[in-house]
Amino acid sequence: MPITELLLGGILLGGVYALMACGLNLIFGVMRVINFAHGDILAVAALSTVSIVVGFKLPFWVAIVVVPLASAALGVLIYVAILRRIEGAPMIMSLLATYALSTIVVNIAILIWGGGYSGLPGVLGGAVRLFGVNVSISRLVSFACALAISLAVWWILEYTRFGRAVRSVSQAPELAVISGISVERVRVATFALGTAMAGLAGVLVAPAFAIDPQLGSRFIIKAFAVIIVGGMGSYPGAILAALLLGVIEVMGSYLSGAVLGSAYLYLLMLGVLLIRPRGLLGTGIRI
Amino acid sequence: MRNRGALAIVGAAGIAALVLPLLGSDYAISFSIQLLIFLILAYSWNLIGGYTGYTHFGQVGFFGIGAYVGSLLIFHWGVPWYLAAAMAGFAGAAVAVPLGGAMLRLKGPFFAIGMFGLARVLEAFALGFDSITQGGTGIYLKPLGDLRPLYYVVAAVAAIMVLLTWRLDNSRLGLKLLAIREDESAAESLGIPTTRLKIGTFVASAVAPAAMGALYAVYLGFIDPPTAFAPNIELTTIAMVLLGGMGTVLGPLVGAVALSVVNEVLWANYPQIYLASVGVIILLAVLFTPRGLVNLGIRGGWLPAGRPLFRRLAQRAGQTP
Repeated sequence: MPITELLLGGILLGGVYALMACGLNLIFGVMRVINFAHGDILAVAALSTVSIVVGFKLPFWVAIVVVPLASAALGVLIYVAILRRIEGAPMIMSLLATYALSTIVVNIAILIWGGGYSGLPGVLGGAVRLFGVNVSISRLVSFACALAISLAVWWILEYTRFGRAVRSVSQAPELAVISGISVERVRVATFALGTAMAGLAGVLVAPAFAIDPQLGSRFIIKAFAVIIVGGMGSYPGAILAALLLGVIEVMGSYLSGAVLGSAYLYLLMLGVLLIRPRGLLGTGIRI
Repeated sequence: MRNRGALAIVGAAGIAALVLPLLGSDYAISFSIQLLIFLILAYSWNLIGGYTGYTHFGQVGFFGIGAYVGSLLIFHWGVPWYLAAAMAGFAGAAVAVPLGGAMLRLKGPFFAIGMFGLARVLEAFALGFDSITQGGTGIYLKPLGDLRPLYYVVAAVAAIMVLLTWRLDNSRLGLKLLAIREDESAAESLGIPTTRLKIGTFVASAVAPAAMGALYAVYLGFIDPPTAFAPNIELTTIAMVLLGGMGTVLGPLVGAVALSVVNEVLWANYPQIYLASVGVIILLAVLFTPRGLVNLGIRGGWLPAGRPLFRRLAQRAGQTP
């Protein structure tokens, strides 16, 4: 039954896009910065996971702990060294800065790990039967974790003190300052959280997909499509659109080959822009 | 006095450009063609990125479209290369109109992420529709025996781009675009037709890159998807404009010349770190000279300030009693 298989495959793929899109949305909401290096942090995290497990022969859970922490540290470094210095500059500057950062990260990753593909076939191997379809455990786990983290971050934003501070900084920074919120601290924490999410996504992707330094560029285009289709700044929109786009990509790849399948997402994004520019669940964010 | 000096410089540059192919070696001509192609890309990017302030990460998409349209015209129908380049320019505009209409509904940052994937997607299409584009094998064109005609065409286009930018910089239209860059809502409320101007600028900034794509294919005698949609073309162009000065007349020129020399050295000696170093250049420019080298020159008094016409008008208005 190919339809079930395709639907399931698409939804599982969509989980990773959801995690990426949520991290990007989080960072954009608070800092009004679009992090073009987000996908490349994911790729480097995935490659580091392979190095930790295959190269250093450490168990997989070490990577789950270490890599997101290292990513968060990298996030703090990026924030302090670059983003804090161009706060208040025209938006184009932060776009160019993270775009340049993305190129630097990819090319350093190519220098370190080479341009080839690697993977973790031994970790979380095997398959289970679900709705009459064989599903690999690694994909199932990465989907479940990705969705759980996306929902957890959404919950944090809605219901915790930190989340309220984050939302207040993103909606009205001046009022946040008056209410005694340290905007600077919220910003650095948000950026670190966002990059840690990218790092964790990288760890989860490592056993499930073939990874190479260019993985991030391929993923982030889709995550961007997810954000635009789902509605900018909307969490439920991003999660819904991620699952939808995952299904469409898998269906498209099945019908006309993998190369064109992912390209259809872009056409879908163009279509959404023409018909409903604010996205499916977007409210039209003000910049 | 200053005008005469500027005229002398322009005249000298023009004569040097005309004479170079007669005196220079093949290497000099070849290098100049590459430099001029990048110069044209930089001036085109400056229109949408510098004046209108829209971060355009998809320009190499138009370059690639032009490269394929031009190559296919030459390959299948034997169209002369200069006509093929002109038609590639039209093709770029024909794609830019609907694409701009869709994309420019997005404000700044979302426009940037929307355009970001364009080149990758077009590359996927070029690979996927291999019955038309011959996919990854690429299209081989008959190489030009003499690069001099190509050089003259590229030099003429470059001169036109510089002239157009200079005219734009001293016009109401240029000010309107700058107003969009500074505050789009305010510009809209002043009665500036922002959407129309943005789409117009977007289309104008797509024509020359598409034509250059075709000429680049002719220059190489070969085109395949990774060459036509190469990320390094995008990155280098943006670095040139940013380094020289966005939204200035001379910025892309300064940036293109400076970076072309750097590129030549890096590309020849350290190709593996080339892209990372261009990234570092962009990052350093963003952090330390966000307004570009040209602005440093103006502040240092080595270069005349921009928009002389408006400065004169403003002075005259001040003098009337």
